[in-house]
Amino acid sequence: MAELDPVRRMRVLAAATPGVAYAEKLIPAPFSTVWEAASDLEHELPRMITDLRSFEITSARGERLTASARGRLGQRASFDVVLRPGWCVMQSRLLIGGMAAVPEGEGTLFAFLGGLRFRGIRLLDPMLRPAARPLALRPIRRLEHRLQAR
Amino acid sequence: MAAMSGLPKIDPALVRAAQHGDQIAVADLLDTLAPYVGRVCGPIALQDGPDAAQEALIVILKNLGGLREPGAIYGWARAIAVREAIRVARKTASAVPAELADVPAPGDPQLAADVRDVLARLTPEHRAVLVLRDLEGLDEQAAGALLAVPAATVRSRLFRARRSFRKAWLG
Repeated sequence: MAELDPVRRMRVLAAATPGVAYAEKLIPAPFSTVWEAASDLEHELPRMITDLRSFEITSARGERLTASARGRLGQRASFDVVLRPGWCVMQSRLLIGGMAAVPEGEGTLFAFLGGLRFRGIRLLDPMLRPAARPLALRPIRRLEHRLQAR
Repeated sequence: MAAMSGLPKIDPALVRAAQHGDQIAVADLLDTLAPYVGRVCGPIALQDGPDAAQEALIVILKNLGGLREPGAIYGWARAIAVREAIRVARKTASAVPAELADVPAPGDPQLAADVRDVLARLTPEHRAVLVLRDLEGLDEQAAGALLAVPAATVRSRLFRARRSFRKAWLG
């Protein structure tokens, strides 16, 4: 039996989804600390993603949530979210996002995925993907810096 | 198929939603399929099992649009998983032919280690036959079709693989 941990699953999702930015980084902090911060979506997402002004959970049933997001320019979007320890996937009509984390040594391997959802994105994927990794790395760095500053 | 009966049921509507680009549905499908794909890839790719399962799931999700019958998803995923497991195992395996005259004698508390050792000495193709016949319950025709070899080849691989186990266990 070959188990796939949440980061490996997020790699699968990233590789199979056209038009997404994806990155992984080892954060030198324990999993519980990292995930406690990252999974506090209302507070943490707007800090990790600077285009986001607010992210408000509007309903929660087990690991299924809905949220209302507002961008810096005032645009709104409703998100469906799946959130459980080490795993978060979210999507709106136009956007998808994901985070995953697993303990690695004394630190935490953290993965971030973000991208656009529309039919033509598949055609653009070969051009977008190589340029997109730094975009996905930035939110992880912001999370890491804030954890270090605590 | 009997070997499929213990698997979690997958709602055809979930498959269709995933095919239409619903990423939450894709993630749900991934949650459901990952243990099964891991179960198929593990015994074939051994230490490369997680890599094989990861590669297999990427192929499965990328090609989901081509699956016409959602009810056939496990059989379809299994074919991809076996193929990817063999491919990944071949890349790194120091696979040797399954003529195992030198299989170690069974050490009592070492049974699990012996099984792993015997598996590791088989080629990925032989391990695939064992998985499909003995774990997945496919007949020789079906296993042969999936592996793109004649049923007779499945039969001879199975014979050698099982003989290897008997030698290892019974001495």
